[in-house]
Amino acid sequence: MSTKVTGDIAVSLEGVTIGYDKKAPLAKIPSLRIKNGEILAIAGPSGIGKSTLLKTIAGLVPPLAGKIEVCGARAPSKPYRGQLGYIPQRLGLIRHASVFHNVLIGSRARFCGPIDLFASKEAKEWAKRSIIQMGLEDKTWEPIRRLSGGQQRRVATARTLAQRPNLILADEFLSELDEETMLNVIQAVVEYSREEAAAIVLIEHDIGRARRIADRLVVMDDGRLNPFLSETKTMEVRM
Amino acid sequence: MTRKIRINPALFAVFCFFTSVYLALGAVDDWGRLSTGFANLKTFFVESLWPPDWSIFEPRLYPECNAPLGFSITCSTAWIGMSETLKIAFISTVFGMTISLPLSLLAARNLSTPGISSVIRILLASLRSLPALIWAIFFVILIGFGPISGILAMTVYTVGYLGKLQYEAIEGMSSLPLEAAEAAGLGAIEKAINIVIPESANDLISQAIFMFEYNVRHGSVIGIVGAGGIGYYIDLYLGFLVYDKVIAYLILVFLMVLIIDSISVFIRSFFTDERPLNRPKWKSVLVPKRG
Ligand SMILES: Nc1ncnc2c1ncn2[C@@H]1O[C@H](COP(=O)(O)OP(=O)(O)OP(=O)(O)O)[C@@H](O)[C@H]1O
Ligand SMILES: [Mg+2]
Repeated sequence: MSTKVTGDIAVSLEGVTIGYDKKAPLAKIPSLRIKNGEILAIAGPSGIGKSTLLKTIAGLVPPLAGKIEVCGARAPSKPYRGQLGYIPQRLGLIRHASVFHNVLIGSRARFCGPIDLFASKEAKEWAKRSIIQMGLEDKTWEPIRRLSGGQQRRVATARTLAQRPNLILADEFLSELDEETMLNVIQAVVEYSREEAAAIVLIEHDIGRARRIADRLVVMDDGRLNPFLSETKTMEVRM
Repeated sequence: MTRKIRINPALFAVFCFFTSVYLALGAVDDWGRLSTGFANLKTFFVESLWPPDWSIFEPRLYPECNAPLGFSITCSTAWIGMSETLKIAFISTVFGMTISLPLSLLAARNLSTPGISSVIRILLASLRSLPALIWAIFFVILIGFGPISGILAMTVYTVGYLGKLQYEAIEGMSSLPLEAAEAAGLGAIEKAINIVIPESANDLISQAIFMFEYNVRHGSVIGIVGAGGIGYYIDLYLGFLVYDKVIAYLILVFLMVLIIDSISVFIRSFFTDERPLNRPKWKSVLVPKRG
């Protein structure tokens, strides 16, 4: 699978301004590079623009200025289908569909064509595997709306792992989890990153936790008029 | 974006109410007619309308009834009219939805491009701007009397009406599942089939059933222009001033609407259990618990 990785750098931002309104940009990022296989955590106060940065990398919010390259594709062109996995802060699961259906949406992106009506065998296989990996076998056919918050987070993680992406963008996906589930989720994601040399960008409020998981931690700093990114090298403590 | 002007919804509602009172006062010249109206209604009700003439459930004299014993009701005008109305309503709801669902996916602004979306919206609005009755007249002129004209008229109207309800439901869904799929690189058709339809299925189903009910009710209207169904008989007896039969047909339509409504509740309870309905179980009604 790692043959699909193009080059060394998963994400590169040069002079990027993020925000929704040219007159009130949220943050300027002079330079940010994320290598394949690297786990980067972003911390910072609420409302500063962390989710917006992630959405900008995901290609959902256009940058106000600057150059962005993700998985070898220079914006506005998008990375190959399935290369980028994004877990929104509020998950974005289909509430009335089953766990399997939701996870299959991830593996579809990688293992099916854009007009395939039925999912390929491979897609179903990967969906099943990541459901088991997240410990949700007994919930496979349960609709999302009947799951607890923590279970829903695991479904969203399974959806992205089933996609086998080269880059995972996860927005606060460790909050609301009990200690055991959190370790389970972290372990799965970290292992995946090691095996597939996938880059992980995660937003994490808890700096202590961020330091434990990530290779590198960046803090989006306060100062709403002219926010900036300060990089803080942290000790390499892996789980 | 921040809007400069803020509108207090409660004040706005009060404003709307008093505006309509003002407009009504201007439009009505003689309020005295209302009082005589009530007296008229009473006379009309007592002398012509009540009691309903339930003979509509008896078999017609001609053509001869060949139904087996005990099934003679199937030869009654009520049965024939209602079953034709139900058939027309069912076929046109299914055909209408088959056409309106793809159109509404194209019309929804969270899925489609602004250009395509506005073209489809204009198309749907134009189908809707003529009431089903006018469409029925149009098709009766085009292809003559009978259920086919009714089906075509209802289908066209269903596309316009249901299409609007559907694209509004689709636009109302959460954007997050679409964002996650978009980032992963899923295409428009995949998103429509795998995300939009399951996520809004509950709304789509209840709208389709509502549309079916609407079409049953309007079956009694379009029948008047000869487009088939129970409306044919309603019109017939209206013409002969046989109002006690007319009211019997109307009660039948009303009961049918009630039945469809309870079927709708039942069907939707399979798709959602967020607000459990406290439906009384027959057993608990018939066999009271002993304390
Ligand atoms: N779609 C949008 N359109 C306009 N403004 C938005 C939009 N989404 C977010 N914002 C604004 O952008 C700012 C940053 O939001 P963002 O969600 O990126 O913050 P965050 O750092 O992720 O905060 P939190 O830690 O609370 O999740 C906020 O002031 C918010 O109001
Ligand atoms: Mg956020």
